[in-house]
Amino acid sequence: MDHRLFYVVGDFLVSLLIGMVAGLAAWALVGPGWNMWLAMAAMMPLGMVIGMLIYFPLGSRLGAMEAMIPAMYTGMWAGMVVGMMEAMMPLSLRHALEMGAACGIAEIIFIWIANTILRGVTRDSKAR
Amino acid sequence: MATQAEITRAKWDKLAPRFDSMASAGAEKRWKPFKSALFSHMQGKILFLALGTGLDIPAWPKGQDITAIDISPKMLAEAQPRIAAYEGALSAELMDVHAMPFAEGTFDQVYTSCTFCSVPDPVGGLKALHRVLKPGGQLFMFEHTGSKHYPFRQMMDLMSLLSEKVGPAMNRDTVSNVRAAGFQITEVDNIYLDVVKTIKAVKAVEPSA
Repeated sequence: MDHRLFYVVGDFLVSLLIGMVAGLAAWALVGPGWNMWLAMAAMMPLGMVIGMLIYFPLGSRLGAMEAMIPAMYTGMWAGMVVGMMEAMMPLSLRHALEMGAACGIAEIIFIWIANTILRGVTRDSKAR
Repeated sequence: MATQAEITRAKWDKLAPRFDSMASAGAEKRWKPFKSALFSHMQGKILFLALGTGLDIPAWPKGQDITAIDISPKMLAEAQPRIAAYEGALSAELMDVHAMPFAEGTFDQVYTSCTFCSVPDPVGGLKALHRVLKPGGQLFMFEHTGSKHYPFRQMMDLMSLLSEKVGPAMNRDTVSNVRAAGFQITEVDNIYLDVVKTIKAVKAVEPSA
């Protein structure tokens, strides 16, 4: 992960926000009558689009790939999870926002861990 | 019918007026420490490919001899204040990497910065850089590429479907392209995931007969 405080806090808060907004959208659009698989399939791309829409104005502060990839990933997961839950049983607004926020936190932590594993120097002719 | 170079030029000309205010400004701030470290290797006669609006210029060490090229006249026009402010020998020229008039073995080093996501023929462009480098010359790249890992690989492929229409591709395998162009890779440093990275490579010295 990036150790500069501005980016640590910024990445975390944006992921939280995107998770909540994607969760809110899934809560508003999906109802208990929906097929669960259809709800998941529909809310994944919608969540990604929401992530991108929130990323665009914030990208000029937080960067390109480091902001765009978590934004899309968080939106996708939060939309899918809240959409799935909402299709299975009616959620309260508060519960949907909490689930979206939890997805946002989980995804940014996942990306920090993935980044810790993948980053670093390879010094040979087979470098990837 | 428009050539590939004309299509590329038109795409970047269109983006030029708002390029700095888009995500590029935030990216430059975030990437500046890594770019400055890469550019600190500058020495000798240098070619900088795709100057754009000159966002990288403040990260260059002073006093270098740099020829910077770009395919877009509007990008170069936007870059003028930064070109003028650089304390060194900097010449900016309108040029397509695929049609560089420089003689073989002109440069000691070549630098690129978020360039090979956009060059239409990446291996061809890298071969052109290989040609203008002296034997033993060095290639330094700061690039974003595709990922080799799930789920990032799929995500970058998906993003490229859209991003290629307006600007860069997000899923190129630039490390393999560098190797395919005849360079010997000496170091790859993943800055963010395996997506944002620096690549260092050399043009091998031909064994004397």
